[in-house]
Amino acid sequence: MLDVERIRADFPALSRTVHGHPLVFLDSAASSQKPLPVLEAMERLYREYYANVHRGIYAFSEEATLAYESARDRVASFINAPVREGVIFTRNTTEAINLVAYTWGRANIRSGDRILLTEMEHHSNLIPWQLLAQEKEAQLLYLPITDDGLLRMDRLDSLLDERVKLVAVTMMSNVLGTINPVREIVGKAHEVGAVVLVDAAQAVPHMPVDVQDLDCDFLAFSGHKMCGPTGIGVLYGKEVLLERMPPFLGGGNMIHRVEWESATWNRLPWKFEAGTPAFVEGVGLGAAVDYLTGIGMEAIAAHERELTAYALERLSALPGLRVIGPPAHQRGGVLAFTFRGIHPHDVAHLLDREGIAVRAGHHCAQPLHRRLGLTATVRASFYLYNTTEEVDRLVQALEQLGNTLGQ
Amino acid sequence: MSTLYSETILDHYIHPRNWGRLSSPDIVADSDDPSCGDQVHLEIALSPDGRVAQVAFEGEGCMISMASASLFTERLQGMRVEELEALTEEDVLGWMDVPIPPNRRRCALSPLVALRAGLAAYRRGGEPKAPAQKG
Ligand SMILES: Cc1ncc(COP(=O)(O)O)c(C=O)c1O
Repeated sequence: MLDVERIRADFPALSRTVHGHPLVFLDSAASSQKPLPVLEAMERLYREYYANVHRGIYAFSEEATLAYESARDRVASFINAPVREGVIFTRNTTEAINLVAYTWGRANIRSGDRILLTEMEHHSNLIPWQLLAQEKEAQLLYLPITDDGLLRMDRLDSLLDERVKLVAVTMMSNVLGTINPVREIVGKAHEVGAVVLVDAAQAVPHMPVDVQDLDCDFLAFSGHKMCGPTGIGVLYGKEVLLERMPPFLGGGNMIHRVEWESATWNRLPWKFEAGTPAFVEGVGLGAAVDYLTGIGMEAIAAHERELTAYALERLSALPGLRVIGPPAHQRGGVLAFTFRGIHPHDVAHLLDREGIAVRAGHHCAQPLHRRLGLTATVRASFYLYNTTEEVDRLVQALEQLGNTLGQ
Repeated sequence: MSTLYSETILDHYIHPRNWGRLSSPDIVADSDDPSCGDQVHLEIALSPDGRVAQVAFEGEGCMISMASASLFTERLQGMRVEELEALTEEDVLGWMDVPIPPNRRRCALSPLVALRAGLAAYRRGGEPKAPAQKG
């Protein structure tokens, strides 16, 4: 059991009032709030030892470099990466996926090859592959979903053959909440020689993730969704693949020896980190990892499961409310719904007037919404600091809204 | 319940004015915003002296876009094509009786997006086309 009251005290933003009501923040799937240890770690660096990292021969630079690189070690152990060289800092999930598409993808995908995605991918795990497929005349395939928002695993074998060179799949859907059987997908993809990239933007913040257990080739996530700052994300990759990939962005830090006409590349992980990195944010992410580890990812996942089951039950009881996605035991803390034909923007807007922050729209998954016959949904999402009382506030506000506007 | 949803907006949303299609419109206009699903279809018939004689709309979307489209059809009556072309975003926002916050301006402006596409097609003398939108 989490001591949620104590956790909430670590997040200054949660004590605000909005439009005269205590804030109910239900949009952590888009980006989470930040706890004091993260804010303090970043402020300390700025105040006490700020200097550019790498190659500075003086105390500040050495301290900052040490802090940044130790954040990498902590991230590596957080996802159980076998070596720190497999942890590359990027700006976010989107940049991590693009890195793979532009380097591994352009070196390995040829005309006629196939890339297998699923119908529930976020645009950031869709557009980079569309661009690659268009450039290389490769073919995109989609593993379909059921109307309940589960992957049609029975269709996987018929889609997977030697022509599939890459499988890119989300570990948890940011719309349906579905938690996918990634380990099984990786196993089957490897049997036909395909490389697997896992979009773990919604997974790493909310549940234990072990890249060696998954055996995935690449895994991407964002710091800002896991109590860390914006501007820092992670690409995990297997060392053998990363070694063989051409660099992504060119510039300082990613080079070894530079001649007028050519250059050689730095060692991993810096080969993929051109220019001054977001090292203050990296240190912030390290502090976020420490914070989450201190609470325990199993405990966080259990708390969110409980909250999700409760919310699913209460919301489904509202007349005219339809939650999309699978039952509680197959999903994480993301609930997207429609309510009495009221446009999601109106629902979100009116909830905001009651101090409740939810998201409305297509949540960067237009094809998925179209597949479900919807243009937009309202989405409430939970994190370690949310409570059943907040779910009650949401339900109450929806009831009131339904009474005023419902047709 | 909310200062945004004024009586006027609710009234126009629940009882849209000039809903439907015209028998022979001169200007036909569509806006389609894939990011939120707001769709507005606007039809205008001009009188012989070039003024707006009849306006009708159909659409699907949030309260603000639908109320704005309904208000819009009333306000365009009697305008000349040049006046339609001179309409600004501020004009349209001004017709709403409450300030529209920045994150909902796009909803309120969807009838104007439709109108501009329709006017451009009218000037070209070609078939009206839905404008491309950023997603
Ligand atoms: C499943 C999923 N993938 C990718 C992303 C993209 O993350 P970011 O915007 O941090 O790159 C998100 C978040 O919006 C997400 O939920």
